[in-house]
Amino acid sequence: MIQKKKMITASILTLFLFVLPLFISKDYILSILCMLFLYITLSQSWNILGGYTGQVNVGQAAFFGIGALVARLLWIAGMPFYLAIVAGGLGSVLLSVIIGLPALRLKGHYFAIGTLAVAWIAQITVGNMLPGISFLPAQYMATYGLVSRYYVFLIVMVGALATIYFTVHSRIGLGMEATRDDEEAAQTVGVNIFKYKVIAFMLSSFFAGLAGGGFAYFHASFYWHLPFGLMWCFEPILIAFIGGVGSFIGPIVGSVCYVLLKEIFALTLGEMNVLIFGIVFILTILFFPKGIIGLPSKIRELFRKGREPLLATEVAEDKSKSQGGSSL
Amino acid sequence: MTTKKGLSFVGVISFVLVFLLFSFSFVSGQPASSAPKTIKIGASISLTGRFAAGGTDVADGYKIAVKHINDDGGLFIKEYNKKIPIELIIYDDESDPSKTVTRLEKLNSVDKVVAYLGEFASDMNIAGLGIAEKNKIPWVGITIAVENAFNQGFKYTFAPNMFSYMEVAAFFNALDSIPKDQRPKKIANFELQVDWGKECTKYLHQYAKERGYTIALEQKYAPDTKDFASLILAAKSAGCDAVFSVPTPPQSMALIKQMKELDYAPKATCFVRGPDLSNYWQVMGKDANYILTSGEWTPEMPYTGNKKLVADYRAQYPNKPIGMPVGNGYSAFQVLADAITKAGKLDREAIRQALTTTDIMTVKGRVTFDKRGIGNVPWVLAQWQNGKLEIVVSPDYKPAPLLLAPPWSKR
Repeated sequence: MIQKKKMITASILTLFLFVLPLFISKDYILSILCMLFLYITLSQSWNILGGYTGQVNVGQAAFFGIGALVARLLWIAGMPFYLAIVAGGLGSVLLSVIIGLPALRLKGHYFAIGTLAVAWIAQITVGNMLPGISFLPAQYMATYGLVSRYYVFLIVMVGALATIYFTVHSRIGLGMEATRDDEEAAQTVGVNIFKYKVIAFMLSSFFAGLAGGGFAYFHASFYWHLPFGLMWCFEPILIAFIGGVGSFIGPIVGSVCYVLLKEIFALTLGEMNVLIFGIVFILTILFFPKGIIGLPSKIRELFRKGREPLLATEVAEDKSKSQGGSSL
Repeated sequence: MTTKKGLSFVGVISFVLVFLLFSFSFVSGQPASSAPKTIKIGASISLTGRFAAGGTDVADGYKIAVKHINDDGGLFIKEYNKKIPIELIIYDDESDPSKTVTRLEKLNSVDKVVAYLGEFASDMNIAGLGIAEKNKIPWVGITIAVENAFNQGFKYTFAPNMFSYMEVAAFFNALDSIPKDQRPKKIANFELQVDWGKECTKYLHQYAKERGYTIALEQKYAPDTKDFASLILAAKSAGCDAVFSVPTPPQSMALIKQMKELDYAPKATCFVRGPDLSNYWQVMGKDANYILTSGEWTPEMPYTGNKKLVADYRAQYPNKPIGMPVGNGYSAFQVLADAITKAGKLDREAIRQALTTTDIMTVKGRVTFDKRGIGNVPWVLAQWQNGKLEIVVSPDYKPAPLLLAPPWSKR
């Protein structure tokens, strides 16, 4: 019943997002929503490997960048964009297989450092091989519109969320969580942890690649090395931690806060926004290690703790009353 | 019947009269629509993040220009027959090109600016160019030296600053100014692996051939290279007596320190970027002496209005060195303000048209544009001489003599 309710809510929300551009006339709002969908996709793609499977990938920029690079090159060469973006996602999957097979043998910090090195190498290599700028050809510029970008980001996000939701709620998801919680114990009971790590890595890189394809479609002009920038490594992690790592809703909530709050802070607080956002982030990590989605349970816990002495007093009073009563 | 005819006649006459009155109201001039309170001009600038130092300099240049114009009542707009003050809207893009896009979209669709101004760093400028073209809003940049960015057929982008071919030409002009018997002949090109570096290499070869110099060494390096020992030793062993490069600001410092450590002192060292920043002398001290760099704008330039700009900046920031982006920002604003006045109305297309016919004297000299939007500006080069950036190449006034660098042991 709860599952059915969730599905209906998600469907209504998706439908709402699909008709939203009919009521929005400002390109600014559309561009912000594009960024929001991009960050939801990217952070959720990180979350399936880092949050659900426990493999902290610090090299998401490599997969995001490959998706952007392949999609842009093929699209400009004349391929329809919907095929180019899928090719970009598959390019990222190919990279994840090449990288993943050896890298997933590494554990913990070593895996994190290894993936960061991959991102760094990709950035330098692309910077050296393609030092120029990618401009959209004139005929593409003439038809540039943000509504089509909005739908690309929305479809990619909905696809990523649906796939990840059904994956983590399936047998595969259980395998991933078992791998995250205790690799040795999982292996002991017959879980093929390497298989689940590879599945998570491929899914993660595929959706990161699709998000990169969206980036390539969104920007009218950019330096080729830009989607390989290390900010694309750290931002999805930051968002997942803000929202709540290893939960389905966490990266969505994190992205909403990251994109919208940062936008509001930047426009209203000027240069102070970075400092204030940094403080908010530190406080979140310190006091809400489960992220924003852990906030209600934290409040309930605090409330219960506050109530406990009170309850104890009440119980003691009741006890004394009953003792007093008996004495009477 | 008669009544009917009479009515018909009256009706026709009335119609003609109303038509004539209506037409005359157009011929004699419509009552002017009410003038806006301000002229909105927008910029997305890196006020925070890795490019914040340059970004705040640019913003300061813009703000002082706005103050000077508004102190005078604003810009005269013929359509409204009055002066209207400027409202400068600056958003921080946090040194993130994706945010440049969203901020420029906000300036377009929410703030309804009539023109965009450029920003300090290339990543953000490149993102901005595309959005300006898409939104059909005139964009006036200040520090974008890549010629290729203006070969795309864009109509709305203009950059009144020196481009790669001008910078290389200014370097050769500096070498030509040295007496023949002392003139360096063998040039080492340390090519930064970005489009700007590649363009400079192309022009280095072209001008070296035309003017009788030899590119004796060519070595490439990435934007995040920190160790230049192999390049320096190669140039030293090839006997190169001049070096040209466009390093990033931190690289320009590392290169000089490592050249000193390896005792390599070519007669002329030109780093177009890096030494032109205001804090270079503070960081490098006497080691900065003799380095040639971009001299697009300096506080000492004798052009009209420059003294006022420098005085106001120093009054506002008594302890802050004044860097090149301040002057470049100010002059870009002068160019845009001139175009808005010439357009005579606050229409983006009219302003774009006016920009194409720009011919104005700014605080860094005369500015016109070619068909691509590339600025024809004075080709200048500066040299650090005892803590001061002296202009050693200028087409407009007598520059200071270029000093040849002695060996490190004699400095």
